[in-house]
Amino acid sequence: MVARDLLNRLKEMLGPALLRVDTPADDRIFIHVERDAIRAVCRHVFRDLGARYVISIGADDRPFSGQYLVAHDFAFDAAHLLGSVVTHVPEGDPRLDSITPDVPAANWAERELRDLVGIEPVGHVEPKRLILPDGWPEGAHPLRKDVAWNFVPEGYDPERAFKFGEPPPGCTVVPFGPFHPTLDEPAHFRLYVEGEVVRGCEYRGFMVHRGIEKLAESVLSYNDIPMAAERICGICGCVHNVAYAQAVEEAAVLRAPPRAEYIRTIMLEIERLHSHLLWVGLACHILGFDTLFMQSFRIREPVMWIAEKISGNRKTYALCLIGGVRWDLTLELIAELRRVLDTLEAEWRAVIKAVLGDKNVQQRARGVGVADRSLVQELSLIGPVARAAGVPLDCRRDHPYAAYDRVEFEVVTHEGGDVWARIVVRMKEVLQSIEIIRQCLDKMEPGPIQLAITDELPVGRYGLSSVEAPRGESHHFVITGENHRPRRWRVRAPTYQNLQAVPAMIKDQQLADMTITLGSIDPCFSCTDRFEIVDLATSTTRVWSAEELARLARAGRR
Amino acid sequence: MTSLLSKIREVMVGWNAGRVTLPYPAAPAPPPPRFRGRPIFDATKCIGCAGCANNCPAREILVYDVCQEIRILKYLGRRCTYCGRCADVCPEGAITMSGEFENATPAIGDIEQRLELFMSTCQRCGRCFTEPSPLEQLKLKGYRFDDLEHDRWVFRSQGYLENSPVVDDLTIELD
Amino acid sequence: MELLSILGCVANAGLVLALAPLGEGVLRKVTARLQSRQGPPLLQPYFDLLKLLGKEDIESGETPHVQRGAGYLALATVLTVACLLPLGFRTPLTGAGDVILLVYLITLAGICTLLAGWGAGSTYALLGSSREMMTMMALEPLFAVSLVAGAVQTGSCQVDRVLDGSVYGAGGIPWSGLILLATMALAFPAFVQRLPFDVAEAETEIMEGALIEYSGPKLALFKYAQMVKLLVYSALFVALFVPWGSGWAFPFGWLVFWGKVLAMVLLVTAVAASHARYRIDQALRHFARLLVLAVGALVLACYGL
Repeated sequence: MVARDLLNRLKEMLGPALLRVDTPADDRIFIHVERDAIRAVCRHVFRDLGARYVISIGADDRPFSGQYLVAHDFAFDAAHLLGSVVTHVPEGDPRLDSITPDVPAANWAERELRDLVGIEPVGHVEPKRLILPDGWPEGAHPLRKDVAWNFVPEGYDPERAFKFGEPPPGCTVVPFGPFHPTLDEPAHFRLYVEGEVVRGCEYRGFMVHRGIEKLAESVLSYNDIPMAAERICGICGCVHNVAYAQAVEEAAVLRAPPRAEYIRTIMLEIERLHSHLLWVGLACHILGFDTLFMQSFRIREPVMWIAEKISGNRKTYALCLIGGVRWDLTLELIAELRRVLDTLEAEWRAVIKAVLGDKNVQQRARGVGVADRSLVQELSLIGPVARAAGVPLDCRRDHPYAAYDRVEFEVVTHEGGDVWARIVVRMKEVLQSIEIIRQCLDKMEPGPIQLAITDELPVGRYGLSSVEAPRGESHHFVITGENHRPRRWRVRAPTYQNLQAVPAMIKDQQLADMTITLGSIDPCFSCTDRFEIVDLATSTTRVWSAEELARLARAGRR
Repeated sequence: MTSLLSKIREVMVGWNAGRVTLPYPAAPAPPPPRFRGRPIFDATKCIGCAGCANNCPAREILVYDVCQEIRILKYLGRRCTYCGRCADVCPEGAITMSGEFENATPAIGDIEQRLELFMSTCQRCGRCFTEPSPLEQLKLKGYRFDDLEHDRWVFRSQGYLENSPVVDDLTIELD
Repeated sequence: MELLSILGCVANAGLVLALAPLGEGVLRKVTARLQSRQGPPLLQPYFDLLKLLGKEDIESGETPHVQRGAGYLALATVLTVACLLPLGFRTPLTGAGDVILLVYLITLAGICTLLAGWGAGSTYALLGSSREMMTMMALEPLFAVSLVAGAVQTGSCQVDRVLDGSVYGAGGIPWSGLILLATMALAFPAFVQRLPFDVAEAETEIMEGALIEYSGPKLALFKYAQMVKLLVYSALFVALFVPWGSGWAFPFGWLVFWGKVLAMVLLVTAVAASHARYRIDQALRHFARLLVLAVGALVLACYGL
């Protein structure tokens, strides 16, 4: 349905509880409701109307409206609609009904509200700490405007540990992480194992917080933030760079020139190429198949070289500014890019042909780490994880941005929802990306690459942007603000959503399959943990004290 | 049988490719022309507008006014992200993103570049810096007093200095 | 005779100790070529062992003396096996033991890995040991069956008689011999702990398994034992199933023998480079099937086929 239809339906349903609805475009809707109606509205939107949950955002709006702000973002993919249910929470009573009982996918986002803004989700199923370290004192909520960006808390308690739940009967505890050869970034999965079968899992993560959102609100400015956004992730940096720029452009009603849009599309697809090729290699490495790991990386290397020639760096392209891109593609570079794509396609087709017939790899990947359709819909999973279960979600087609409305491509899906399906989906998406880049190169016209911005950006406007990262939908929410910086910037990386499904995927699976299951969602913990406040030089080194780390890594010693 | 064929195909992919590893660092591996390496500051071209300092996302360029005539511009480079914004906004083209990427050193001072600029009769009004857009307005006009002793940027997250040539109500907030 | 036997043992053990790291070096170099990279120098494993021996002997497991003992025992066992083998000339210890002893020694080598894991006592080490135990229970019978089939065919348990292509029996088409050749070939990577059957020390899943708490000299002993195992098992396989040419006059017989061993190493390398690791349950199912075939071959051998 389009924004107007949804508006009308909600008007009928809610009457006076509906305070205000903004429909800045056919594909965007912002629904402001009374605090008490939030749960009913969300239940209607997510359950009755079947929207996909995206993220919940908490913001300290007290300097501007005197209240806190909570927004629950959702998407109607088939109708190309992105929206947000917004409510305000008074300063004296920062509590709100939790929507998690109706929308299980909101679990982490509401815990994050609780930790960072101090808004209590009443009725949440698992009200534990998510982001803040365990020893962090109560009452010091980093994202509040009265807390400085370099705040160091008093009364930090290094002895306080995370309360894990009880293991199911008959199970031993096998710690997976924070250090493990397959994990590039620290995360702790506490596995409850019976023999070689995993019976349960609990996750404690967010060890790589860096305070990017708080920095953006306090000390960076609009055109500085893309550089910071790019560093949220070690692989999909361009995605965050573009998504942020697009969100601000949407809020300020600016549109980048067409050539800039094509360049953004090309760089996003180049990033998808290198990410998927890396992932296939990594998955093979996890399975012990080092030869294919090396070969994937060898085939991938020319993509890194051409990215370096075009942008100046192999991975951090430093692509966007508000209103455009910073550098252009010359004719020589375009010719070289075409050559790279031709070679890549030929080699990758050979690899796909070989791997599709490989029973050895399939035996390790079929039936492993299954996330079927119902789990995908329940937890609002996205990206190749969803497409491998047969759910054709793809932001490039559902919520077109940059130049994706001008190119044709296929959304690759597979049935089964297991690791093998994800391998097939990612391998085939490489070929789709090559096609998209070729189409962009053909259709690109000469022209300006940066919009001339003549006025300061308007204040207090909302902007949403969903970009299809290699791992799934990356969603940015921006409220523009004073002093050339946003009031609030929320980043929802795809791994944030997909990680919540890992305990369900590894239940009743073999322990040996834990790594490949985790690897198959292509986890990017840095993307997930983009929050943190503490001055790194002093407090954080005390969080994971040596005994704590040693205990975690060697648990099992009686 | 298909599996055996697949395995042979996979091995042949590797065999046909040959050895691809480069002998770097035994042999040099120069980066491409557009590579964003260490920025080089040219003191002969720099006019001391501090546009680079204002647009460095990592806040690694400090400016300090010793007196009316002398302005010190110091590129620290510790957290430099090699984004190239400084080079983009410099009105005189005094900053070049070189191809140097082998910047590892045990002495942090090796990366620093310090420019001492004679400012003539400059009111430090900021008009010499041509802002590409309103988003790049100079945040701190007038005299600058970044903390050179501790290599720290002075933050003013509340607003701008407008029209006042001399700053005497500056609150120094250390990072 | 005694003196000659002793000299023969020393020569065998010395030869195996000298060549084992080279075998590992060949494996690494060829794997690198298949992976499009340079790979370490051929002599790298020698340097690795020297480096490990020079490190501090840290006690990081629960019972360090068990860990140390396991290391010594592992190397000693495989060297003893080497003394019992015809490495291009006659077995030095002819009278001292027969094939039953060989089977026991090989099982003992596997038990050393179990001891290593139990001595360490941490979660991942115990997991590694339990996997190794399950693998051993499925593999050792396979090997024992081959030797017994050879013994049945020749009618003697003497090592030099059995390890002379005895599985092929007298005349006609040696069905049992060919079946045993196939089953042993299909299970061979598991004996030498290489892909696709290196579950017990899967790096990416259980972080080296039983050897996780090993470092320095203790690790050097185990690494050396593993390298020697590669050579010794290859020699065993060659002696049992591919004996032709080894009987020629020295030095030709000797060269042919070691050429065949090198071919085995290359085969192991090719298989290891082109396969993913199997899970423990998949590996066990595979071995169980092979065992059934092998026992069938043994029955045929008893009927002289």
